[in-house]
Amino acid sequence: MPLTMRGWRASARIAADIGGTFTDVASFDEKTGHLRLGKTLSTPRDLVEGINTGVEKAGTAFADASLFLHGSTVAINTMLERSGARTALLITEGFRDIYEIGRINRPDAYNLYFRKHVPLVERALCFEVRERLMADGTVLQALDEASVDRACDRMAAEGVEAVAILLLHCYRNPAHEERVKAIVQARLPAAFVTASHELSQEYREFERCSTAVANAYIGPRVSRYVQGIDRHLKDAGFTGSFLLVQSTGGLYQSAQAQVECVRMLESGPAAGVVGVQALARVLGLSDAVAFDMGGTTAKAGVIYQGEVMTTSAALVGGYNQALPVQIPMVDIFEVGTGGGSIALVDEAGAMRVGPQSAGAEPGPACYGLGGRQPTVTDANLILGRLGSERFLGGEMQLDRAAAEAALRERIAEPLGMTVRDAADGVLRIAISAMSYAVKGVSTDRGLDAAAFPLVAYGGAGPLHATSIAREIGMSRVIIPLAPGHFCAFGMLHSDLRYDFVRTWFTPLADASFSELDQVFRALIREGRDTLGRSGVKAEAVAVSRAIDMRYVGQEHPVTVDLTPEVFKRRDRDAIKALFDAVHLRRYGTCAPGERAEVVSLRATVTGVMKKPPLALIERGGRVPLRAARRGERSCWFAESSRAVSTPVFDRAWLRAGNRIAGPALIEEHASTTVLLPGDRLLVDPWGNLDIEIGDC
Amino acid sequence: MTTSKKASGSTRPPARKVAKVAAPRRRIADAVLTEIVRNGALAVTEEMKTHLMRTAYNMIIYEALDFTVGLFTPSGDTVSIGLGLPSFIRGMANTVQAMIQHFGTDGIEAGDILVTNDAYTTGSHLYHFTFAVPVFHQGILSGWTVCMAHWPDVGGQLGGITTDIYAEGLQIPILKYQRAGVVNQDLVDIIRMNVRLPDRAMGDLRAQITAVRSGERRYLELLERYGREPVLGAIARIMDQSERAARARTLTIPDGIYEAESFMDDDGITVGRRIPIKVKVVKKGERMTIDLTGVSPQVSGFYNSGPSTGISCAQVAYKCLTSPTDYPINEGSFRALDVIVPPGTIVSAVKPAAMRWWMTFPMTIVDTIFRAMVAAIPERTIAAHHADLGVAMINGISPRDGRLFLASIGPSGGGWGAKATADGMNGVVCLNDGDTHNHPVEQMEAKYPVLFERHALREDSGGAGRHRGGLGTEQVVRALSPINFNIQVDRVHCPPWGLEGGHSGAGNHVALRLEGREIGDFPNAKVLSRRLAAGDAFIIRTGGGGGFGDPEGRAPERVAHDVRQGYVSRAVADTVYRVVLDAQGLVDATKTARSRRRRLRGQ
Repeated sequence: MPLTMRGWRASARIAADIGGTFTDVASFDEKTGHLRLGKTLSTPRDLVEGINTGVEKAGTAFADASLFLHGSTVAINTMLERSGARTALLITEGFRDIYEIGRINRPDAYNLYFRKHVPLVERALCFEVRERLMADGTVLQALDEASVDRACDRMAAEGVEAVAILLLHCYRNPAHEERVKAIVQARLPAAFVTASHELSQEYREFERCSTAVANAYIGPRVSRYVQGIDRHLKDAGFTGSFLLVQSTGGLYQSAQAQVECVRMLESGPAAGVVGVQALARVLGLSDAVAFDMGGTTAKAGVIYQGEVMTTSAALVGGYNQALPVQIPMVDIFEVGTGGGSIALVDEAGAMRVGPQSAGAEPGPACYGLGGRQPTVTDANLILGRLGSERFLGGEMQLDRAAAEAALRERIAEPLGMTVRDAADGVLRIAISAMSYAVKGVSTDRGLDAAAFPLVAYGGAGPLHATSIAREIGMSRVIIPLAPGHFCAFGMLHSDLRYDFVRTWFTPLADASFSELDQVFRALIREGRDTLGRSGVKAEAVAVSRAIDMRYVGQEHPVTVDLTPEVFKRRDRDAIKALFDAVHLRRYGTCAPGERAEVVSLRATVTGVMKKPPLALIERGGRVPLRAARRGERSCWFAESSRAVSTPVFDRAWLRAGNRIAGPALIEEHASTTVLLPGDRLLVDPWGNLDIEIGDC
Repeated sequence: MTTSKKASGSTRPPARKVAKVAAPRRRIADAVLTEIVRNGALAVTEEMKTHLMRTAYNMIIYEALDFTVGLFTPSGDTVSIGLGLPSFIRGMANTVQAMIQHFGTDGIEAGDILVTNDAYTTGSHLYHFTFAVPVFHQGILSGWTVCMAHWPDVGGQLGGITTDIYAEGLQIPILKYQRAGVVNQDLVDIIRMNVRLPDRAMGDLRAQITAVRSGERRYLELLERYGREPVLGAIARIMDQSERAARARTLTIPDGIYEAESFMDDDGITVGRRIPIKVKVVKKGERMTIDLTGVSPQVSGFYNSGPSTGISCAQVAYKCLTSPTDYPINEGSFRALDVIVPPGTIVSAVKPAAMRWWMTFPMTIVDTIFRAMVAAIPERTIAAHHADLGVAMINGISPRDGRLFLASIGPSGGGWGAKATADGMNGVVCLNDGDTHNHPVEQMEAKYPVLFERHALREDSGGAGRHRGGLGTEQVVRALSPINFNIQVDRVHCPPWGLEGGHSGAGNHVALRLEGREIGDFPNAKVLSRRLAAGDAFIIRTGGGGGFGDPEGRAPERVAHDVRQGYVSRAVADTVYRVVLDAQGLVDATKTARSRRRRLRGQ
């Protein structure tokens, strides 16, 4: 039977998201319309094994699939754990040290023991190449190929496995970088070689250098990983396309992922935001905030006017010692608060929650694995929001006494409060901290968060979503079906996507539209060609253009999306007005009388994929089935300052049309949704929990 | 706190009736709300910083982040200041307090935005424009959101050295930029007429208004959500906690009187006459007194700063030693610190002292305090750093559009001092600045007629020691068309010292390359109003950090590592560290041991 299923009859798509703790698999069969989910512990030593188990758990097989979609933490972990390749840097003569010097800032300004970023390449492996371009791309000093040869001799002797190339102003003229790369590839055929312009054609040499080095450093390991999966898929009879999720949430084919590895740094979180975009489309929402909370962090992203909001760069590894990566990615704001965040009273008597986390081991005190410090999860247990019996569908029993002891010893007694008030305090601090993740991507971007629905997922998201919504004044929360598998679900809804950016300085007033058009055309052609080579048949191809603009004299630009009509009309005034409006929204101010200039051109080519339709769930009445009732639990709600006997429901038994008034708890395998007093829930036709936040 | 009297030129207004000002009541804020407000106060200043940086017009603000934003109590005490300039840790609070004193609380109303660039009020230079919004909640003054940022030009003499404040540009006393929502257009017109690049100045002004406005909005949200009195109560508790933490750390420092001395090269007017800096720290129980009576009287050249900067020097040193990672930076941290700064010193200058290059001397004062404390707490202090911004000011006519351009090359990263347990950092901004960035070469070359030939670390510039000082940097910049060049670097002749037997790092250095010949033997590194022709170049070299401990105590493998990386030359490894390396660069243990023994025997 598998033989007959193979080839033309294959109709399933499988998505696997490997996170730090769990591997999630979602599979969708286009014929039957069935969505299946599997969750399994990640297997760090052999990640492929985890994927296999997850695929089995989801009751599907690779041979039945036409698409395998994948997101993984392998890229980011290789960078953070510093387990990448022995990497060298080839750089314009005179600038050997710019990667180590960096931006010279000292954010930890009063700490005499501050540390700056630690380069991924040691100084002894930074080699200079004799060449120089001017800012306009003209050649000041022709490339001296002998200098490249000499560097290759040294790299060969040093056993270098990966090489990054950064030449000044290559975004205006990549010829020297291209030639250096060709020489290095010829001389060191086994090395992984990256030239900076292949990843970023934006100015700022340190950031572009850091991007190219990061790609080279993680390249060998990531490409081996992707090849390993590729081989495994073929062995398992898979004949379809293997695509990976980029940090933009878009997909790219495995061959490209093996070259531009740094594009998948944030693939998991990005897939979640894309999932929210897909959900929003079905629900007819143009705007939404995506909120993902796990064990150590909480992350937020935004869908605005139907589109995922992206940013042009990110800092990897914490601000103080960050290594910048200058490529487009989903704009995600992260705070160090998660279920495992530790609460403590510091030496000055201040109560703190996070960013230290108890992690998975020993984990929160209530896991009973030896953790003695109270965490956000312990606080939820004490307050009755989490049940001790049915955590992870009953696979794990929570130790209430241990949670209580931890809170009493570390918080309640030092501060002279009750255990319940201590738990309540931990939760309130955590919720307030997490609200800054939501504000970070909405209010801080000039968007009115209160008007956005909050879509919460990840293991701990549903537990806190209604409280966060209140904190910000949001009136609607949506908990999707299977919130613990949401990132894998998101992947099923991604499109192939290629982003291109090129720095192109020109005042708007004398910008030559035919020149701009030429650059755009070139970028778009490249996108279409790459799409053509992907071997995936897209349903349609969508192209979007944007311009990064600023007022003359400003530095930081904002991105202005251009409609095809505006660009075709060559309407400078309309473009200027669009820019003024974006600036006003973002910063609360604009200067229509001031001149504007173009900084960079952006083009995105999207190969639109067929989306699995969202399945409808069984309909029910207003009142949930009796089978959905799981009794009651006493819960303390700070919002109403009292303990309330709270009904508990089993989500699996909820039917479309069911209504529940808060307070209530809705439990499912890896998650619990909290309805606060005053909240009103409607189970929508697709099984999402649509919650109207009450006044409280 | 003992401080000098302020030397502001403004007359004090007559006493007026007391306006509605919110006062804190600690009791009504609990531990939980206190923590929530702490995060909230940090978010207020973070957002102000982001908005200023992203909308500013001049590179000093948007790339170098040369600014400070802050949230203050109704009476002008610091609640939170964003990570801007450490040397401005005090200047902003002093400015707000001077504003309150000037108008009286009943002379301030909702919709006002106050402004000044008075150097003796801010304690710094006229480039620092400060805008302040009094935040009214339900008609009651509940705090201030404030933003200081460095404008590229405020008029005055272009280049050269100034000897009084009048040559340094437009002085704006404490005024209302906006009164009850109405902008003071007369003031705007005066500013526009007095600066060389009015469009840029207005752009930066708008960015600053955006910043203080966004801070006001965010702070009001906090007041709305939790109530004014609980929030102010929480703020009072945050300060109490910071005070408690600082006192506890101070208590662990042995009681005693600690003194140290150092020198600046000169004031740029009397070339070669050293400027003495003597500091005294008295530590007793939970209190510390930092006495700057022994620093030099104010000087003729533009290296003076106002009295708030004297206090800043002491506060920065104290914070580094007692609560380096306590955030937000707030008034409570400094309650157990007394500062003595008599008027008329280089960090408490009185009118009309020249202030344009106020930044340089205070950093060395802070380093000297660390030097004094090594006797008490060697494991918590640090050897000296390059202590200079390493910044050149250039101007000229742009060949591209025929218009005047003003640009700064730098700040440059330099070497930081080594510590008892760690090497110094290579290529990091000086102590005056915190989250300050350098300028990308690709950006400078796209905007100005310059070509960078080199930007590199200086081998062997870090002071030798058991722990090595950080390396300084070198930039070689070629003029592509004629430019006027100014640089005013210090600590060339008085290089960054080491501690506990560690060697000094290399001093700062400046050179020119004129018609192909390098000239570097200036009597000091203050090279002013030089005209460079196309093809000429200037070279900025920043110093390295001082070492900590005897160099021969450094593990030979670490010396070998430094040689492999090119941080240390083989010659220095051999003669200073006394580590013998073989042809492959590996340690020859026998020869190294012999070499180190020989030195002990005095050979």
